[in-house]
Amino acid sequence: MRARELAEQFPIVSLTTNALTAARTMGDQRHPGLIVCDGEGHPHTVLPGSQVLRFMIPSYIQDDPALARVYDERGSDELLTKLSTKTVQELLPKRQDRDELPVVDPDATSLEVAAVMVQMRSPVVAVVDEDKQVLGAITLSRLFQVLFPAVPEA
Amino acid sequence: MTTVLVVIVFTTAYILIATERIHRVAAALGGAAMMVVLGVVNAEVAFFSERTGVDWNVIFLLLGMMIMVGVLRQTGVFEFVAIWAAKRAKGRPFAIMVMLIVLTAVASALLDNVTTVLLVAPVTLLLCDRIDAPPVPFLIAEVMASNIGGTATLIGDPPNIIIAAKSGLSFNDFVLNLAPIVVVLLLVFIVMARVMFRSAFTFHPEKVEALMALDEREAITDRKLLIKSMVVLLAVMIGFVSHSALHLEPSMVALLGAGALVAISKLDVSDCIADVEWSTLVFFMGLFIMVGALIEVGVIGTISKAATEAVDGKYFLASTVLLFASGALSGIVDNIPYVATMAPLVADLVSSGGGDAGANAAWWSLALGADLGGNATAVGASANVVVLGIAARNGHPISFWQFTKYGLIVAAVTISIAWGYVALRYFMFA
Repeated sequence: MRARELAEQFPIVSLTTNALTAARTMGDQRHPGLIVCDGEGHPHTVLPGSQVLRFMIPSYIQDDPALARVYDERGSDELLTKLSTKTVQELLPKRQDRDELPVVDPDATSLEVAAVMVQMRSPVVAVVDEDKQVLGAITLSRLFQVLFPAVPEA
Repeated sequence: MTTVLVVIVFTTAYILIATERIHRVAAALGGAAMMVVLGVVNAEVAFFSERTGVDWNVIFLLLGMMIMVGVLRQTGVFEFVAIWAAKRAKGRPFAIMVMLIVLTAVASALLDNVTTVLLVAPVTLLLCDRIDAPPVPFLIAEVMASNIGGTATLIGDPPNIIIAAKSGLSFNDFVLNLAPIVVVLLLVFIVMARVMFRSAFTFHPEKVEALMALDEREAITDRKLLIKSMVVLLAVMIGFVSHSALHLEPSMVALLGAGALVAISKLDVSDCIADVEWSTLVFFMGLFIMVGALIEVGVIGTISKAATEAVDGKYFLASTVLLFASGALSGIVDNIPYVATMAPLVADLVSSGGGDAGANAAWWSLALGADLGGNATAVGASANVVVLGIAARNGHPISFWQFTKYGLIVAAVTISIAWGYVALRYFMFA
């Protein structure tokens, strides 16, 4: 199966989208990440949910997870509200830390898609045509659905 | 000719370690390998000679303590104590800083400095976040308190461990000679911190509630493990205090403690040894072999003889030079290779004094200078570098000069006070 057949409609956000809105989109639609496009609608990067968490959780808690336990509910909520004043751009790692884009062309095979996911460590791969327009995206779960189809019960 | 080559190899390795042009472990091991190639070092010289070989007491004392700390840190006790103390301070920034200074200094006297700051820095950032205080002054104060507190005991700072191994001084000798002045230095440092970081102490009453809402008991991840760890740590401390009477080297006490803790903790062994800094242990081994080569070819003996003749019984002058020179050098280069090199020289100097209290003061001058000098610059001690890294990762970068402008003052004041202490205790009122 080719990437164009695997691709699904996928929410796209821009660099200036509010970070909280982006996080809610991921949550509402149960997506592991979002495709981020630049001002011309060309794919800029993929924002994985783990990156949102990395931004939201202070580094000192990432260094010492035991500290997360000492927060009360209100304290936890305060940490989450950090997102409301930020944009998607601010959530992204600095340019030099970022890999190249997890993007495949529409003719890519499912194995190529899997290879890009592994190489980029991304749960989402964007399918982009020759005009750099996003046709959709392939998630890890969609790929697994194709690679390991359910066996009908006997 | 061989002697000249040994000196060249040693100096080159030392420069590489000091300038960090290559990793310090590679420099030390490379230097040690060259000593073998030059035919100065063989297995007997490197591994089995008390005079020239790897000091296994130092290696195994460090290993034992690292294992115990590796288990202890999994209990969450440091986080508990820090949050508990901050809540007792009722959110007042200076009171919290004093609590953290005391906690860090006491912990550093009993544990390795780097481990201590690794444990205290994250909870400090949390506390500063809660009370809306700038974390940089708190982090700088903590690492300086760690370097001061670590001076107090035999196990507090690696240079002290090397000095103990080379001098035969006991745990109690260190406590009796260094702990009193460290207490004074800490009090002085607290006053200095009040002045140096005065702009950081703005009290936000509205933030107190956020601090008091933290539940420090939740930081304790494993109560049974905490109790077991405390029992073993207490036994180890008793072992250190009484090691002379028990005829047990401190390294044996630490290894017994580590073994007991691993056995009763029921943790996976790989978790227990996860925090062991193998690279540091290997670095020590390489250093010992390089210094052993200098001893073997007679360089240390020649310098010792010249130094002893130059001192000519003027031990006060010798202690003064040793204290200030060690302080200055430790601010620039790693104090571990410095002390490893100086220890055999000081041992000869002290033995030439024939048990004179003034001659023995050379050991305390070396320890005070090397340990306190680590505060002088941002790269003066490993703990400084670690805290700078944590601060940067959390969005609060501390520049070299931002640290050093405070460090130079603190090092100058503490070393000067330490000099007064040495002068009074070992010379004027000896």
